[in-house]
Order: sequence, then structure tokens, then C-alpha cells
Amino acid sequence: MTINLAGGGSTPRKVRRARLIPIWALILGAFVLSLIGTSPHYIGSDSYVVGLIGKFLCFAIFALSIDLIWGFTGILSLGQAVYFGIGAYMVALSMKLNYTLENATRYGSNIPDFMEWNGLTEVPAFMAPLLSTPVAVALALAIPTLLAFIFGVITFKRHIYGVYCAVITLAEALILERFIVEYQAYTGGFNGITDYSNLRGAPFLWVIIAVTVVCLIGARALTHSRIGTVLKSIRDNDVRAEFMGYNVANYRIFVFCVSAFMAAGAGAMYAAWVGIVSFLDAGPMFSVEGVIWTAVGGRATLIGPFIGTFLVRGLEFVLSSSAWLSWLSEYWQFFMGALFIAVVLWIPDGIVGTIGNWLRKRGTGTLSQIRDDQDRLAHDRQRDWDPAGGTKPGKDPV
Amino acid sequence: MWQQLFMQCLNGLGVAGILVIAAAGLAIIFGVAGVINMAHGQFIMVGAYTAALVDELGGNMFMSIPIAFVVVALLGLIVERGVIQWIYDRPLETLLATWGVGIILEVTMKFIFGTLGRKVDWPDLLDGSIRIFARPPHFPYYRVFHVVLAIVILAVTFYILYRTRFGLKVRTVRRNRSMASCLGIDTAKIDMLIFMYGSGLAGIAGAVIAPIKAATIDMGFSYSVNSYMVIVLGGVGNLLGIPTGSFLIGEAETLLAFRYNTVIGQLLVFIAIVIAIRVFPRGIFGYQERR
Amino acid sequence: MPLLEIKGLTTEVAGYKIINNLDFSVEANELRVLLGPNGAGKTTLIAMITGQFKPSAGKIYFDGRDITGWAPDEIFLAGISRKFQVPNMYETLSVYDNVMISLQGPRKVFRYMFKGVTRAENERIWEILDFVELAGKASDPADTLSHGERQWLEMGMLIASNPKLLLLDEPTTGMTEQGKQRTAQLIERIAKNHTVLLVEHDMQVVRRLGKKVTVLHQGQLLAEGPLAEVVENEMVKAVYLGKGRH
Repeated sequence: MTINLAGGGSTPRKVRRARLIPIWALILGAFVLSLIGTSPHYIGSDSYVVGLIGKFLCFAIFALSIDLIWGFTGILSLGQAVYFGIGAYMVALSMKLNYTLENATRYGSNIPDFMEWNGLTEVPAFMAPLLSTPVAVALALAIPTLLAFIFGVITFKRHIYGVYCAVITLAEALILERFIVEYQAYTGGFNGITDYSNLRGAPFLWVIIAVTVVCLIGARALTHSRIGTVLKSIRDNDVRAEFMGYNVANYRIFVFCVSAFMAAGAGAMYAAWVGIVSFLDAGPMFSVEGVIWTAVGGRATLIGPFIGTFLVRGLEFVLSSSAWLSWLSEYWQFFMGALFIAVVLWIPDGIVGTIGNWLRKRGTGTLSQIRDDQDRLAHDRQRDWDPAGGTKPGKDPV
Repeated sequence: MWQQLFMQCLNGLGVAGILVIAAAGLAIIFGVAGVINMAHGQFIMVGAYTAALVDELGGNMFMSIPIAFVVVALLGLIVERGVIQWIYDRPLETLLATWGVGIILEVTMKFIFGTLGRKVDWPDLLDGSIRIFARPPHFPYYRVFHVVLAIVILAVTFYILYRTRFGLKVRTVRRNRSMASCLGIDTAKIDMLIFMYGSGLAGIAGAVIAPIKAATIDMGFSYSVNSYMVIVLGGVGNLLGIPTGSFLIGEAETLLAFRYNTVIGQLLVFIAIVIAIRVFPRGIFGYQERR
Repeated sequence: MPLLEIKGLTTEVAGYKIINNLDFSVEANELRVLLGPNGAGKTTLIAMITGQFKPSAGKIYFDGRDITGWAPDEIFLAGISRKFQVPNMYETLSVYDNVMISLQGPRKVFRYMFKGVTRAENERIWEILDFVELAGKASDPADTLSHGERQWLEMGMLIASNPKLLLLDEPTTGMTEQGKQRTAQLIERIAKNHTVLLVEHDMQVVRRLGKKVTVLHQGQLLAEGPLAEVVENEMVKAVYLGKGRH
């Protein structure tokens, strides 16, 4: 039952659409990433700054995962750190177990110190699989994704999103944090998991960069594809999308799982890179921090989370390290609070989004002029053709 | 055994009372003004420090309750005029902005009072307990006080919302904001007054929590989350949602904490709430929006 | 067999029957106009057909299947598209993407994942954009369109989904006289190949279409037939046309 409509053909039949990967982004991205990747060679492999760069990249992927669900699909999750944290703890536990096998603790046993302190004499059976690195990495990615899937099925299938979703995910993060602190025999508790080797250095930095590139291109392909258009349509108007036959809940669950997977990957790399994880990395504060990095950089843009993360965390580093600005770092928290308010009040689209809007406005300024001209032209033409129109003076239009 | 269980149930009632006091202000702000106030816990914290200050100056809790109400209501006025009035139409972003407000409040209070918590004493009147059974535990007077105060707060709020002209306006705004403003109701003023009232209730919550848990800088956040869980479970369609949600959560957490431990109790309650909202997506007394 | 058949439909909200034991049917390839004063239950009826509300009693049959109680997306896939009272689209997407999203095709997440826009689909999108006279604005975001253009875009989106039954809920509200005429023209053209159920307030548009009308009053069927007959019906005059514009 297709209708055949009279083809006009007079208008240009081409729609303006950005490339999947614009050339300038490719060149700029390659330049920036190679600069980052070679940084160990000219500032020293074990320098503090290199450590920060790897850490920030992990954080930026985490922010990107938030951007996918918040910026592109409109789900505000304040519990994204749950997935980051679980990924990080899996890898950290695995590394710690392996480390203590080779380097006995002060008291001579081969189990992690926090287990020893809590009266365990051997590694619990359910943790044994973590001794194998591939299994640990697989679990670090699979468990968060599965958890996100379960959570998504429970909430999105029942049209729970917006505020309710934000509050529930927040509580989720809070409970995981308390859980980690309470069950210290298995998680290291308040001190976190420390004193295991780390992979900091040039080779693993390249791994992080490679994963970053994969995440960025994957996110770009996802949001630029047809499925991405559906996700944006759900963000804009979920009711309409549902009446257009889209199972909105399934799309939300899908993107939530992708995002959790990404966050878990970031967490896993983070644990391997810095060599310490704590309950704070799975808590609500860290989740909200990720949201604010995304907001500062610009949500619904892919480069925004990276810019936001490096800007906010970089500023924190500069303030705390510089000699004559260090007094400011005491008020860092205060600054963060003010940043939250400022971003919401003045630049809700973030840095990248605001610049993008500005460029677009300059572009469409002329375009809307053209449109107005066309409208006037059409109006005039109509008046000419309408027998009752204004061409015949002295006669009121009907 | 049965006596213990009974006492735990009574304790749960007391916990529910605190939850009602903490969540009532939040529910009103969220239900009427549509603002997700993440700084609510920090408002409670400010109320608790106000009580500590009153205590140090020689007053007792019965004095600190009205003082905390006024102080935190004024704080709410500043926050509403300074931040929230610009973003009423973006509810999810009020969450981020008020989160920032919460951080600023914590840093400021830390700056003023230091990192050490303040202890507040009970008024002598509430020292002691009811002996229900011959053997301890007994039921302390302050728990009775919590329950009574919760009922009083609910009654006053009910009176304001359903028996006064102001309440009528509030309910009109809540049902249909644009229609209300067409009818000549100053919705901005209603929102402001509601935000002040809700903040003031947070102050009261702080003043009654201070004697049992001491005033600490980081006490706020978990009260925010707990209050939101009450709202998620109870719903804001009706004033009954707050006591219902509080009662269920308070009892469940107390009994589960008695049986297992606090963390398991919270985890199980959280899972129960997530399952419950599958049945009641907008809370038990939810306001069903028609789209 | 009628395309849409409603039997004994009842909706109760708080004891008040918005729709009361309604029997009603639409034949295939028909343009039916639904009339009724405010509160007659027109929009509620549309909402129930599309699965937004669940009826308290009664059955809805579409294309020989019982669709009572189905979810909105399932009902859409069965072939019913709905136009909302206020323009309802994806504001930040371009006009082209708005139509693209609405095209007939698979809606499952994983089957949709790596699917691009095929040549045939592209042709179809442009055909529709020409039809609703928005081809010149294909790249603009939808929120830059005027009110009338939005209504047409939404109708274009509905046509794109190629439904068996189109439900148009007051598509001419808030339009200028000229816009109404153009919209009526558009509806006539759509109705050539589609079954359309139109809710309309504006009697001039209804007269112009001149098709079979159904009048609802307090959730019940009051009269049904060609416009000329219904207008003469005493009961209809009393409850509706007598008060409205005549």
C-alpha cells in the first residue's frame, strides 16, 4: 500500500550531513593522541604528569559513557561509578592476588594483607577464578554489563526514568560504597586495595590510547548511525517514539549496557594504571563528578567529555601543584560546587556545545534570512494568483 | 525473643518518624515546585549545627527547633532566589545545581565549625524511657518524641495545604502551573514560599537529629538519599505517601539490621524498593500524570 | 469486514464514564470524520485505540485481530499511526531525520544497528518531503519550523510509516484559514490511499471534506451518516451544532 506521490524534483535532493569521521577531527585526534602517547619519552616514563594523563584518559572514557546515556539518550544516571568501580575492583583484586602469590606479606603468607587482617587464611573459593588475568578482565567487563542489563530491565521496562532513575542509581552507588567498606575482608574496606604492582609506563599508555580511540569511534558510529538517530529521538520525545513503533525501553536498555561496558573498561584500565582503588571510585560522589565533567565539556558531543575531564581535573592539578596558587586548592571543593551551579545556569550546553551553537547560529543566520525571503516571495506570488487577493483594489478579501 | 522483636518494631517506628521529618520538606519541594533538591541533606546538616550552636549558648532542643526552622528557611530563600528561580523549567538540572549548593554548604560549614562533629544534649524532659517489659531494652522517650513530632508536622502541613487559601493556590499550581498563572496566581511567589517551608522543615529535622547522631559535616548526603527513597516508594501524589514510605522503609531497615547487619538491611530494602516501583512506577501514592 | 471495529467500549475514570458502551467501526479506505463537543470522549477514544489507556470493558478489533490492551508500539506495528493534538516531533533532529525515523521497517534494536539508509528509502523520504512541501528545509532542525509546517511534518512522518489506519487528532488547531485549507487538501490527498479517522472541530474543514461523519456525545454514539444528514438530525442540532458555528 505505498502511495505514489507526484515527484517535485525541483529542490536539491541532498541533505547536509556530517561525515562519520571528519578529516579535521582525524588529523587533530591523531596529532593529540600521538603527542600523549610519546609523552613518556620526553617527560620521563615515571613522571607524575604521565601518570595523570593515563588516569585522565580513563576518567574521560568514563565521562564519555555518561555522555552516551545522558547526552544522547536523556537518561541521567548518578550511579555510573558502580560499573566503573566493579570493573576496577575486579582487576585490582586479580592483580593483588597474583602479586601476593609472588611477594609474600610481612607475616609471610601468600594472601592479600587485608584478608589476613580480617582472619582469612586462604583466598576464598569464589575469588579463585580472578587469579587468571583473562578471566578477571572478562569478569570486569561482563559483571557490570550484566548488572546494567538487569537494572535496565527492571526500571526502563516500567517507564521509570528522569528523576526516579537518577535517585535510584544514586542509592545504588551509595549502597555499593557501604558494601565495600563493610565487607573489608574481601574488598580491602576503607583503605581500598593498595600495594600491588601497576602497569604504569609507555606500553600500557598505548593500550589506554587504543581503547580510547576504539571507544570514541565506537561512540561516534553508534550516535551517527540510524540507531543513534533513534536514541536522540527518544531523548527529544519518548512518547512520539513509542507511538512510532519503537520499543523505547529496549533502546534504553541497550544504550545503558553499552555505557556500563565502557565505564567498566575505563575502570579496569584505571585500576591497572594507578595501582590503587578505593570505595570512592565506586561511590556517588565520583558518579556525579563524571556527570559534571560531561556537563562542562558539553553533553551530546563526543569530544566534550574529554575536554571537560582534562579541564576540570587539570585545573585541580595545577592549583594543587603550583607554589603560589596552592592556597587555592584548599578551596577546591568550593570551586567544584560553584562550577556545578555556573555550568547549569550559564552554559547548560557545555563548552563544546556552546561553541557549536555559536557557529551554527552564524551559519543559519543567513539561512533564516533566505527562508524569510522565500516566504515573502511565496506570499507575494499567492496574492498575485488569488483572484480575491489584494491585486484588485477596492474589494475586501473573503 | 518476641519481646525483642516487638521492641525492634517500636524502634522502627521511631526511625520512621525521623524519616518523615527529613522527607516531608523534600516531598513538598519536589511535589509542588518540581525541584530535585540534592542539598536537602546539607540543609538538615545546617539545621543540626544551628541546634548545636543553640545548645552551646545554653538553650535546649525545644528552643532550637523553631530557630533552626527560621535559619534554614532563610537559607532556602537565598538558594531559591540565587540559583533555583532560573531553572524551574529544567528539573533534572536543578539536581546538579543543588548538588553544587550542597558542596558549597559543606565547605562553608567546615570552614566555620571545623571538621570535628558537635554533640548536642537531650533536654532533661526526654531523658529516660518507657518500661514496656521488665527487662531492657526499654523504649526511650526521644523515640516517642520523634513519632509525635512527625505526626505534628504532617498535620500542620496537611492543614496548610488543604485548609488555607495559600494551600488552595499551592494545589492549583501543582495541578496546572500555566493555568494557575493565567488565573492571576503568582506562581513564582508560591514556589518561593514552598521552597522556604520545605527548607525550614529540613532545619527542624536537623535540630531533632543532632541529639541522637551529633552534628557532623558529612551527615547530610545519606539523609538526602534516604529521603528520596521515601519519596520514590511513597510517591508525592498525596500527603499520605510520606508516612507510608517512611513506615515501610523504617521498619524494614530496623528489622533487617536487627536480623543481619545495617548494610545488608539497606541492600535488601533497596532491592525491595526497586521491585516495588515496578508495581507502583510513581510511588504508592503516586500522582499519575496524563500525557 | 471493517478495518477497525469497536465493540461495547467503556472507560471509567473515578466513577465517571468518559466512554460509555460505544460501538463504532471504520471501513478500509474510508475517510471518517469524528465530531463532538468538548468532553465527548474523542481524544480518549483515540488514546484507547492507540493503547495509551486501557479500556475498562469492551473490545477493539483491528484488521481482524483483537488489539485490546496491547502496548503502543505493538499497536503501531499492527498498522495504526497517530497524530497528536499538538505537534509532536523530535525537535533537535533534522526534518529529514524525522521522516527517516518514521519509515516503515524493522524496529528491533539489533536488527537496526548497522542498517544505513538505502537508496529506495532515500527516494521515499524525498517523495514524502515533497508531498508535505518541506523538501527545501530537509536539513533544518525541526524546532525551527513554523506551527503549520510542524503539523505537516508530523503528517509526513505518519505517511512514512505507511500505516493501515491514520488517526488525526485535530490537525488544524491553531492554524490560519489558509493553513487549514492547505491541510484539508493534504488530508484529501492522504485519504486517496489510506484509511483515515479524523477528529475535527472546524466545520468548514469538515464541509470541505464532505465525508461520512460520526458524532459522539458524552461518550456515546449520537449520530452517524453523511454530513448533510447528520446536520439535519434534531439531537445533533440540540447538543452540538446548535451551540457551535453553523
